[in-house]
Amino acid sequence: MYTRRDRLFVAFLVIPSFVLLGAVVIYPFIYNLILSFGNMNLTRIRDWQLVGVRQYVKILTEPTQPDFYEIFLKTVIWTVVNVVFHVVLGVFLALLLNQKLRGKAVYRTLLIIPWAIPQYIVALTWRGMFNYEYGAINVILTKYLNLPAVEWLKSPTEAFLACILTNIWLGFPFMMVVALGALQSIPSELYEAADIDGATWYHKLTRVTLPLIRPVMIPAVTLGIIWTFNSLNIVWLVTNTGEPSDKTHILVSFVYKAAFNFYNFSQAAALSIFIFVILLALSLFFMRRSRATEAAY
Amino acid sequence: MKPALLILAFVWTFFSFGGCSRSTADDSRRIVIWHQMRPDERDLLQRQIDRYMKSHPGTTVVQLYMETETLRSGFVTGSIAGQGPDLVYGPSDPIGVYEVTKTIVPLENLVPPGFLADFDSSGQVWYKGHLYQLADKIGNHLALVYNKKYVTRPPATDQELISLCRRIQDKYGYTANRPNVYGLAWNYTEPFFFIPFYTGFGGWVFDADGLTPSLDNPSMVRALNYVRELRDVYKIIPGESDYEIADALFKDGKTAMLINGDWSWAGYREKGIDIGVAPLPLIVETGRWCAPMTSPKGYSVNANVRKEKMPLVMDVLEYLLSKENQAETARALNTAPTRHSVYRDSDIRDNEILQNSLLQIQRGRPMPVVPEMRAIWDAMRPSYQAVMGGAKTPEQAARDMQHLAERKIRDMME
Repeated sequence: MYTRRDRLFVAFLVIPSFVLLGAVVIYPFIYNLILSFGNMNLTRIRDWQLVGVRQYVKILTEPTQPDFYEIFLKTVIWTVVNVVFHVVLGVFLALLLNQKLRGKAVYRTLLIIPWAIPQYIVALTWRGMFNYEYGAINVILTKYLNLPAVEWLKSPTEAFLACILTNIWLGFPFMMVVALGALQSIPSELYEAADIDGATWYHKLTRVTLPLIRPVMIPAVTLGIIWTFNSLNIVWLVTNTGEPSDKTHILVSFVYKAAFNFYNFSQAAALSIFIFVILLALSLFFMRRSRATEAAY
Repeated sequence: MKPALLILAFVWTFFSFGGCSRSTADDSRRIVIWHQMRPDERDLLQRQIDRYMKSHPGTTVVQLYMETETLRSGFVTGSIAGQGPDLVYGPSDPIGVYEVTKTIVPLENLVPPGFLADFDSSGQVWYKGHLYQLADKIGNHLALVYNKKYVTRPPATDQELISLCRRIQDKYGYTANRPNVYGLAWNYTEPFFFIPFYTGFGGWVFDADGLTPSLDNPSMVRALNYVRELRDVYKIIPGESDYEIADALFKDGKTAMLINGDWSWAGYREKGIDIGVAPLPLIVETGRWCAPMTSPKGYSVNANVRKEKMPLVMDVLEYLLSKENQAETARALNTAPTRHSVYRDSDIRDNEILQNSLLQIQRGRPMPVVPEMRAIWDAMRPSYQAVMGGAKTPEQAARDMQHLAERKIRDMME
């Protein structure tokens, strides 16, 4: 039975966190929501008014530059391709590192490097590497593989591909570390029992390893989806703010451009709400369908 | 629970939020400047600031570098939120945006009487009847920078430029069909660097009213075609070139000439390159000079500066714009000063780079400070890049630029 004083003490302990959460999450969210129903732009930055769902209608019905549906499709492609590669590469490398290997610590350290370098530096370094004439990628393609040079940053598809390649390189170590942790927690007795039953490598992978790392990987994949969907840095920096022709934007980079380059704050707020709803629905759907919260053992 | 524990909880809670409030104790003697100066400019500014602080004990002046776009958007959003620096430094083109958002204050009644008398009119940015910016440099303009190792006499016309570039490229040979030394390079992802070609073919970004976009016309089509021809037909510029690539090519001696702004020239000299600066050439076909946009670079005062702090802010501003500091800056960075008295300095008068720079300024056109200029840049950039990437024809690009500029202005004003 808690006394009044106990409750008061608990309140004192949690109030700072609640106030902080309110200040940095709840208040901005509500403000953003209100803003999305307004008309705040460059000329109405101080005297904006509520105008209903005009921004939402505009985004969905009027062609924006670039087109909203095109950006949305790109965002989906960006997220799916990146997360698939992050997970496949991460789990594959984790399986390798989970074997008895000489110099395992060295490999592990080397493979974590992409994750350890600040994203800003990674993005700008890769941007340099994708340069048509002097970039390392084209030098390798032309000099060592006898392939034609690719105009990575000049055409929209190649520029978008350049962003994806950079982000794959940047993102797989996280999945690898998570998968490695999950693999190391699988009791060896299960593999011994499988060996006695005559299970092949493939059977052990599909019947023991993958089901047992699933509870750890599903939240990691969900996080990966949210992070990748909202990953501004790579697209923004590798393509130099959406170049060429604003054709490489994903939703979040376009939101940033709408707000801080075009000063179209209400439009950016409405786009942010779209992103929030999409991610919320995606996360709920993913968690329910994958039954991630169910116990594995 | 013991009362001591409760007190501890109170104290903890109190200190948890201590960091949330902004300390204002020393703010009255602390001046913050946001700018987008390059490293050599920053070093010089710091030396000038250090001298000020030495002669004004108790006053702190802090400079903070930001990338141009971040500076503009950060200043607007910060100032609207009641924050931001005391002084914001940069080219004059966002003054219209700052005025519309009421984030800067008029200066005409804040500077001492007679202070403006020594300033050239191009160094004072007046907008809607008020003085919003006082500049320490005029220009911020593009010109032709050449490496004297490759170029003895700079070209005066575009035809001379093309033939000179070809001669240089032939002289230094090719590797895998790529010149070992390019004739010319510039950042052709940014429309600011395209403007001299547009003006060279007779175009200007606004109609005579200074507000209606003027981008869909034969001058635009011809200029876009021309830039593409320089790359694809004459092959005198790199296949791909943004600011960093063009800058690196020039610094590495891999391009003989470069189109770049006055902010960059001192850096090339520091790198040990024997540079010359010449006005951009004449387009023979039209008989017009390639005219870059020019703009003063200077200081504006944040609308959030408190009344009691304003005298100190103005004192720092007057110091930074003083004759001595401007002369020092002009000598060190080859930038054109804004005070008439500085031009009487023999070092400035006899400086060849500075004199050519002034000639280029005379041939340039002032950059409009209206907020609509923002829409022009944002409308030009995608289509210009699409033309260079082969995704649009110049005709289509011109139409799209005009259409997008008009829509952006409509959106901005709605």
